[in-house]
Amino acid sequence: MTERGDNLCSHCLLPIGLRAMQRTVNGEDCAFCCYGCCIAFQVKHGKSEEWEAAWLLIRLGVGAFLTMNIMLISLVLYAGTFSGADAWLLPWIHLLLWIFATPALVILGEPYLRETWSHAAQGRVTSSALVVLGVGAAYAYSIFATIEGSEQVYFDTATMVLMLFTIGSYIEAAGRAKAARDLEPLLAAESECATVVDEGTESRRPVRDIGAGMLVRVKPGERVPVDGVVIEGLSHTDEAVITGESRQVAKRVGSAVIAGSINLDGPLLIQSSGAGSATRWAQICRSVRDALSRRSPIQRIADRVVGVSVPFVLILGGLTVAYWAQLMPFDQALLVGLAVLVVACPCAVGLAAPLATSLGIGRLARCGCLVRDPGTLEALARTRLLAFDKTGTLTSGRSRIVGIESDGAGTDEVLARAAGLERHSEHGLAQAIIMAAAARGLEPVVTSDVRAVPGRGILGNADGQPMAAGNSALMGDLGWSLAPALRERARSLEASGHSVIYVGWAGRVHAVLSLDDTPLPEAHSMIEALRSLGLHVTLLTGDLAPAARRVAAVIGIEDMQACLSPETKRAALDQYRPSYEVVAMVGDGLNDGPVLADADVGIAVGSATDLARETASLVLPPGGLWMLPWVIAVARKVRRTILTNLLWAFGYNLVALTLAALGVLQPVLAAAVMASSSLLLIINSLQLSRLPDPALSVIPERPLSAEPDSVSRGLGMPVMAGPAIERS
Amino acid sequence: MTYYLVIFAAGFAGSFHCIGMCGGFACALGHDPRGRTATVERHLLYNAGRLTTYCFLGGIAGALGAVLCTSRGIEVPVLNGPLDTAQRFLAIAAGLLMIAMALQFFGLLQGFHRVAVGFGGSTLAVSLRSLLKSPSPAAPVAFGVFNGFLPCPLVYAFAAQAASTAGALPGFLVMLSFGLGTFPAMLMMGGVGRMLAPAWRQRGVWLAGSFILVLGLITLSRGVLPFAAHVHALPWGPG
Repeated sequence: MTERGDNLCSHCLLPIGLRAMQRTVNGEDCAFCCYGCCIAFQVKHGKSEEWEAAWLLIRLGVGAFLTMNIMLISLVLYAGTFSGADAWLLPWIHLLLWIFATPALVILGEPYLRETWSHAAQGRVTSSALVVLGVGAAYAYSIFATIEGSEQVYFDTATMVLMLFTIGSYIEAAGRAKAARDLEPLLAAESECATVVDEGTESRRPVRDIGAGMLVRVKPGERVPVDGVVIEGLSHTDEAVITGESRQVAKRVGSAVIAGSINLDGPLLIQSSGAGSATRWAQICRSVRDALSRRSPIQRIADRVVGVSVPFVLILGGLTVAYWAQLMPFDQALLVGLAVLVVACPCAVGLAAPLATSLGIGRLARCGCLVRDPGTLEALARTRLLAFDKTGTLTSGRSRIVGIESDGAGTDEVLARAAGLERHSEHGLAQAIIMAAAARGLEPVVTSDVRAVPGRGILGNADGQPMAAGNSALMGDLGWSLAPALRERARSLEASGHSVIYVGWAGRVHAVLSLDDTPLPEAHSMIEALRSLGLHVTLLTGDLAPAARRVAAVIGIEDMQACLSPETKRAALDQYRPSYEVVAMVGDGLNDGPVLADADVGIAVGSATDLARETASLVLPPGGLWMLPWVIAVARKVRRTILTNLLWAFGYNLVALTLAALGVLQPVLAAAVMASSSLLLIINSLQLSRLPDPALSVIPERPLSAEPDSVSRGLGMPVMAGPAIERS
Repeated sequence: MTYYLVIFAAGFAGSFHCIGMCGGFACALGHDPRGRTATVERHLLYNAGRLTTYCFLGGIAGALGAVLCTSRGIEVPVLNGPLDTAQRFLAIAAGLLMIAMALQFFGLLQGFHRVAVGFGGSTLAVSLRSLLKSPSPAAPVAFGVFNGFLPCPLVYAFAAQAASTAGALPGFLVMLSFGLGTFPAMLMMGGVGRMLAPAWRQRGVWLAGSFILVLGLITLSRGVLPFAAHVHALPWGPG
């Protein structure tokens, strides 16, 4: 039992749209997007005790039985068996065909008739009307011919067309469900069952009923249902859905596991650390369900075209019959008209976009990238300019020591003394100093009488000497001397946007620490990859120009604007619109909310809540900026698939329609042609589920050493895993 | 006529093979609580459904054969025989397919068997179980119709034979003869249950294999032998 979005088809998981069918299967209410899905779902999931599934099969079976017999009798007729001496039998054979065809038509045509009727009641004409009208006309003419005793009847054509339509829609629905099977686990996260161990007894419970502290057993091959800690067992997990990287992560007792990751090779017993419905995995699934049930702009246009085309085809069918009736017997002209109606059924056009977008959204979600709606994918594919925020997006957002300028004192001594003071501090920059000292294995100097001076720094005593760390104002207040060379160096560092901490003891400033935010290691190669995709990249930041220029130079962005407030960022983005049409903004969602919401595509890194708040329309997993080029490539592939689908569907319909109107295409062949066109679209869309994973080569190995390097040696890597300084 | 009698006999022998899979279905269809007449009616309906599918497949296969042959009906001037090249190729392909199927009946070419039978058959079979339990009088017909589409090497072999006739009507007649041939055994299965000893079943399977092998060799020879006319003159030339 699975719970799905209200607007998604129970079988193929596509949006239901206007052609919804409601049925009760196995005692549950199900909604289907088309008749084919209705059949396929019941055949696949209908329990053998259920009367309805069996009834559907019986109807189809009897319909097929009658149709095939009509076909076989007609075959004997066409072979000329009842000409000559046996000609007196002919009317009786026609009567027999009539008797067979009537129940077949009722059985097979009923769903189409019902659909036409309900749509007509709403004042709409849809494609099922084409089938009903065409088949009805052939049947009515054949009755007339039978009564009149004419030589030719078309019961076989009428029933065979219906049969082929039914089979075609069934095969199409089965293919679609196969294509969408990767989406299934994404939609079932909260209603899936997990094995809960309670005082030695195991029971299956839905994930949403799991609370903190419960024990959950996860077998190899299963998905970890909740966030938690391993209590028992040894295994590897694949956390691609959360981190975007598909690789094996070793888990042993005490390791943290993330909901949504897949347990690969050993059984695990996990203690849940929170509610089952509060995990990021559950959030991903909710957002995928939301995204799938929305419609894209292309789809809306396609639907409108379909709506307009049906009356047009009806008129065309009428004209065709009228034209051919002057050149050939009426019954043959009617057959040509039937072929026109059957072949123009625009099912494929309606299928072109939703399958491709659903597959694209599912593919991204499986790597942790969330999309708000199908329109986002379209806009992203058309994006020509990407604007980046700096702090927290292209940089780590945490300061670290990038240089130590000293006046004779050793680097280690400076760091040990500074760390001795700063470990008593709450200030953000203090952490950077403590981490740098710890990374070099330095023992902080023992300090006493520590006193923080708000807005200035921190004071204390070590080895009987006064010691201080803080800004230049603190040193001025203390009246400690500062060598002119060091003062000059500190000024130039401050002017270029670094944070500067003066460290002094025994009445003199001995050293200047410079701290800076560092670019992410993957930023440079990602920008390169984006450029190779033909995108223009720019930097919009609220920071000072020198700091922004430095970061831009390191990661290779030429175009940048600094000192922007959120409002001016929006204005700056708007300036690009006329020349680039579709613009995307990448930010952290916290400070850039308004800009992200204003951009055609707002991309946030890390926080899925932005999606719910509608500030961002695309969310990358935490630390997943390196996946951006891949995401854009997927979006482009989806758009290309939709366009080829539409081109194919329209082209195919147009060619087939022309052939049918010229009288070249038999009605039965036309029905087969129609079914195959939808199948080709499915096959074309299926290649989206085989897209490669994001390339791991983009992320360089993160170095573990914490050597504070000087400014002249360039900017180093972020080394801190602990609390960091948010500076924007 | 002799040709169709041979096919009928092959179908009869082959139906001992059917007992393996389809016989299970026939047994499952079982006895009707309303009495003997109702039971017989049930099984007749089931077999009528099956036969219809076979005939339909035969007609389609024959029509496909005809399309292949007429679309490029190039006479081979050197041979000057009654068969054109396309028909020869068709005969060779059908003959080889039949021989391959026949070899399976002797326990050879098992990999080929898996390919032939594993083609989506299991899903269909599972979903059809609901029909067996349905009390509706129409259920056996529907079941028979679907049963006919279940992948089966025997059906494939005769569908290939039907295709080689290169005509919808003879193709239909080939499958009709074959289908009628399988009637007695299947009816017996439904009525009497497992009366036949396994040894007899095995003999039936071998017999069916021999029939198909001979038919396959004849079909192949129609395509390969330079003077096909004399084979055509044999009592079992179609039509």
